[in-house]
Amino acid sequence: MSLLEIENLHVASQGKEILKGLSLVIREGEVHAIMGPNGSGKSTLSYTLAGRQGYEITAGRILYRGEDLALFAPEERSAKGIFLALQYPVEIPGVTTMNFLKAALNAQRRARGETEFDALSILRLVRETASGLNIPEEMLRRALNVGFSGGEKKRLEILQMALFKPSLTILDETDSGLDIDALKLVADGVNALRAPDRAMLVITHYQRLLDYIVPHRVHVLANGRIVAEGGSELAHELEAKGYAGFVKDAA
Amino acid sequence: MSSQAAEAPIPASFDLPAIPPLARHPGWLDDRRASALKAFRANGLPHRRVEEWKYSDLRNAIEGQGRNESDVTNPAPDPFEAIAGPRLVVRDGAFDAALSSAEEVEFLDLALLDDDAPDWVRNGLGQVLSNSMGNASLALMRGGVAIRISRGTAAQLHLRFLQETETMHARVFVEVEDGASLLLLESHAGVHGVGNLGIEIFLRANAQMTHVRLAEPAPDAIRIEEIGVVLARDARYFAHLPQTGAQLSRLELSVDLQGSGAEAALDGAGVLGDRLHADVTTRVDHSAANTASTQLFKYIAGGHSRAIYQGKIAVHKGADGSDSRQTAKAILTGQRAEADLKPELEILADDVKCAHGAAVGDLDADSLFYLRSRGISEGEARELLVRAFIEETVTRIKREDVRTAVWGFLEDALPRALEVSE
Repeated sequence: MSLLEIENLHVASQGKEILKGLSLVIREGEVHAIMGPNGSGKSTLSYTLAGRQGYEITAGRILYRGEDLALFAPEERSAKGIFLALQYPVEIPGVTTMNFLKAALNAQRRARGETEFDALSILRLVRETASGLNIPEEMLRRALNVGFSGGEKKRLEILQMALFKPSLTILDETDSGLDIDALKLVADGVNALRAPDRAMLVITHYQRLLDYIVPHRVHVLANGRIVAEGGSELAHELEAKGYAGFVKDAA
Repeated sequence: MSSQAAEAPIPASFDLPAIPPLARHPGWLDDRRASALKAFRANGLPHRRVEEWKYSDLRNAIEGQGRNESDVTNPAPDPFEAIAGPRLVVRDGAFDAALSSAEEVEFLDLALLDDDAPDWVRNGLGQVLSNSMGNASLALMRGGVAIRISRGTAAQLHLRFLQETETMHARVFVEVEDGASLLLLESHAGVHGVGNLGIEIFLRANAQMTHVRLAEPAPDAIRIEEIGVVLARDARYFAHLPQTGAQLSRLELSVDLQGSGAEAALDGAGVLGDRLHADVTTRVDHSAANTASTQLFKYIAGGHSRAIYQGKIAVHKGADGSDSRQTAKAILTGQRAEADLKPELEILADDVKCAHGAAVGDLDADSLFYLRSRGISEGEARELLVRAFIEETVTRIKREDVRTAVWGFLEDALPRALEVSE
């Protein structure tokens, strides 16, 4: 069944229309990629899906498992299994990474009516998952993302994804600022989570990440609309030709 | 009690023609008190047209109509309850022997001072606090205590102030001798009336003092306190001054780093909501070379509350090699809350390091969204961020039991600061 249906989505931010009629369907088990130049509306799409304030849907709608996503707050979307890995994860001094993970995991469980984890089982779960992602325990004791390198921040996003086991993961330019080793590590983490009942939306500027996370479908976003679609080969075509041709077609 | 307050005008107790006499008429002290009264009466109660009192109109709060009347009637429990040790209680401005228990500590009841008072009290009492409310607390005091920690010894003391009367004037005098150390826990209970307390502290060479003050939130009370600290060579003073506010709360702290190598570190979190007001006004004088001071004050202001920090650092001639840092921050969680932060520097020496900053803002929107997108509810996310913001001031408290007490005290105030109002 389709997990996510975006129909003719128009989104404005600060009074400016950024998405201008975007449509997209993602089914369970599928990995989709959205590629597009800077300013095409990639981040607006990811923020709108996650429910950030300041992104107003002016027309169209987003259905998630058949429900209108606009009705739900960011935390409710999270509990429903939507996870957005951010391009620039936020630094939060004073909140340790471990405490944050604990608060987030239990908040999601609580919202779903599941029993909360006790401190010990969370500790064990986080440690095990972290070691598989090369995240040292010392990082978990530090304040959330404070003083982390770009690679460390992205790994922490992947750790959250692995812990939360979302049904729909949105990776917003997760590849930006990563060297090839970090990129592989992130891709491995994402691939490990591929499953028949999960879907992913990989948003990126470059084709590079898609060599490691091979998508079922690639969509080209330009000027707030999908202007081209195809299989994973489309990413290579884009890399070879550049966005210019597609953007022109859209105009 | 507050309904009576409207009928019985409070200013009368501030406007006495002569000092209220102490039992044993110590001539030396009566003279000092008489001149303090004269100085106080010359200007009367400070008000908003006096620059340093711009944000805390004491005259209007006392004489004016709008006294608050909340449903708070009972004083909160002792915030230092879990910490055992000697304890002195000052009740309605006078030492209360029955409630006190401090055999280990040398102290005197100020109400019983006479002409044979020991030199350590006589030489110091009434010498430091010369501002208007300091004059008032000396001139109008009913009593209080003098405490001495003798050379090379270490002590802990809890000073507890209870107030049930409509007005309270009291004084405390502390002398920590060479190489001695004192942990002073100060707590205030009392939800009505006007209180004015003056504390003078002398730290002799190499002495060390940690001062933790907790005053329960009191929406119907006016609380004034002046603390004056004089530090000799290599003495150190650490003050932790969390604020939960009152109808009008004013804490004036004046620290004079007189001896070279002296050091002071002042900090505090303010957690305010409703119509609570908290004003911390500091003055740090770097009077000798190689002195150091740090200040860190952080406020969360919700509801209609008002957070004030005014901090002046003066680096005097000859105070070369001094280092001073001053940070004040406020986060407004209430639409109608207000924060006024005013750091001020005056440098008359060379080769000094001074850094100061102040910032007022809202909870960071990026952080809020990040936490919420991870499933944490808006309320929980706000609380997490607020705790993280103030935690820095609490982790500076070295002793764990004291840190726990302070954290608990601030936690109790958090719901008020986080209450979402329309």
